[in-house]
Amino acid sequence: MTSSATGRAWVAVRAAAVLLGAGSVIWAALPPVHKGYAGFALTVAIAGVAGGGLRLALTAVPVPEESYLLSAGLRAWRAFLAAVRLVPWEEGALIAIVWLEVLHPARPWHTAVLGAGLVAYLLVTHLAESDASLATLRPQARVLGAGAGLLALGAAAGMLPAAGPGAGSALLRTVAAAALIAAAGLVLPYVARR
Amino acid sequence: MIPNGPGVPAPGTELELHWRSSRHARRLLTLGLAGLFAAVLARRPEFAGLAAPALLLLVAGRVQRRPPRITVSARPSTRRVFEGERLAVDVVAEGAGEGSVRWRLHPGLEIAPAGATAADGRRARFVVSPERWGRRQLGTLEVTLRDPWRLAEGHASMPLPSLDCYPAPAQQRTRVVLRRLPNRLGEHPARASGEGIEFSGVREYVPGDRQRSINWPASTRRGRLQVNTFAAERSQDVVLLVDATSDVGEPGSSALDLALRGAGAAARAYTGARDRVGVITYQWGGTSWLPPGLGRRQVYRIIDSMLSSDAGWARGASFARLPRAALPPGALVVVFSPLLDQRFVEALRDMRERGFTLLVVDVLYAEPPARRRAEDRIARRIWRMEQEAIRFSLRELGVAVVHWDGEESLDLPLAGYTRRPMAAWR
Repeated sequence: MTSSATGRAWVAVRAAAVLLGAGSVIWAALPPVHKGYAGFALTVAIAGVAGGGLRLALTAVPVPEESYLLSAGLRAWRAFLAAVRLVPWEEGALIAIVWLEVLHPARPWHTAVLGAGLVAYLLVTHLAESDASLATLRPQARVLGAGAGLLALGAAAGMLPAAGPGAGSALLRTVAAAALIAAAGLVLPYVARR
Repeated sequence: MIPNGPGVPAPGTELELHWRSSRHARRLLTLGLAGLFAAVLARRPEFAGLAAPALLLLVAGRVQRRPPRITVSARPSTRRVFEGERLAVDVVAEGAGEGSVRWRLHPGLEIAPAGATAADGRRARFVVSPERWGRRQLGTLEVTLRDPWRLAEGHASMPLPSLDCYPAPAQQRTRVVLRRLPNRLGEHPARASGEGIEFSGVREYVPGDRQRSINWPASTRRGRLQVNTFAAERSQDVVLLVDATSDVGEPGSSALDLALRGAGAAARAYTGARDRVGVITYQWGGTSWLPPGLGRRQVYRIIDSMLSSDAGWARGASFARLPRAALPPGALVVVFSPLLDQRFVEALRDMRERGFTLLVVDVLYAEPPARRRAEDRIARRIWRMEQEAIRFSLRELGVAVVHWDGEESLDLPLAGYTRRPMAAWR
């Protein structure tokens, strides 16, 4: 691969990560809600995605060596780079996006698409920061497929009408979905190892 | 690169890996936990589905095999290098299993990376360049082993071997030769006649002279047989006296830098002429020394001796009581010093009075800082006058003093003494 092609791939994978993050934020935020610190959650989500993108863009920038003789500008640049690399931007964005989705009324299919988007965002971010190729994910394809199936099952469970009135019925469905995930988690390692 | 062959292949070092979750795993865990919490708190099963892919990846990734140890070998291309030269460090990891290896080099003090400091793969090569002479630690190597799913990272680090960085020698092609040379075969034409190749004169033939040395034109003119005579070829003992007491000036061109570079150049030049060269490193009244010897290896021994002043065979010997092996009688003593230590100047006077032929290369290339205050200006002038007085007093004793700035070739300041044999004044 030529250097220009490598450079294009480098930019593309980072742009894809940022676009997936931004898409997830928009998907979770719309339609706007005005309760439960929605504005704060949206701000955190945007800052998280933007900070994560900035961190990915600055991956290759070397940090100036610590020295007593560093100028104020270089010292500030060094602190900025350290801060950008230290803060867990994506984690903050994930929590904020999930919180934004919780604030909306139940919309299972919408949540399932958001889940797929968030997993894709995390995988592409991982590929970008480790400079790995897409082939790295091939061994995980079976697990990701099972995860997609559980995602669909979760959405389907959310769309089912409650067996009876009251909160207990909804909680029962949630516990059932969690138990399904746990069962899949127990079985999958043996499937994935083959 | 110094031609001593590649460094000894380092045996592999077994490093214990400290495994911890990768950033990717931490993010997946965040998504999974956030989804599960939302599902339980909001009682909406679709959030459990949202958490499912992340949690499944984490659980499935736990079954990957993670080796507890890794064997790493690091081999520098050489253990001896001159300032500014490049050397490669080859690193190999064994026992990494299916995981991928990432290397990161943290260069040591005065070691500049000449390329990338991070690399991927079981084998990697880092190129570094030491910036200043001395015994230098190459740095620290950080190894990160990632499991195939990159959900966990094993970290380990190891110190890289040290290397000897020699001062970049200055240029010196000409040599100062004493007028009186010891009776030992060498390359310098002596005043005595002998079996050399340099024409010395013509004399009358005496029985026993070789026929091939008859000078036929002179014989025809004088009517008697005349033979050519040639100068004997001798070698001399040269002792390099390096004053390591004061290190003044900018790092990289300080008095000690210049002294070591000049001594290295002189060692090369004199050993190239089959002279026996030794070194005495003076430091606060104590010395380490290396007796004069022949050959190219002696140059590296001399530099080694200068780099580690405690590596000499007479550790901490007194300068006033050096044995004949360190300072042979009749040797040419070439001194590299900024002449700032009064005790050292006194020692030079003492050596001169004992009959040694001294040639001082003054490597002082720094002055007290110029300030506006009148007292400072006067102090600066007094300092300069003192320095001039020291050099004048040495010249009065018959000690040759030349100044060298470290930039030009050593041949230039020594030109006045290399054109003709130097008299060993008594």
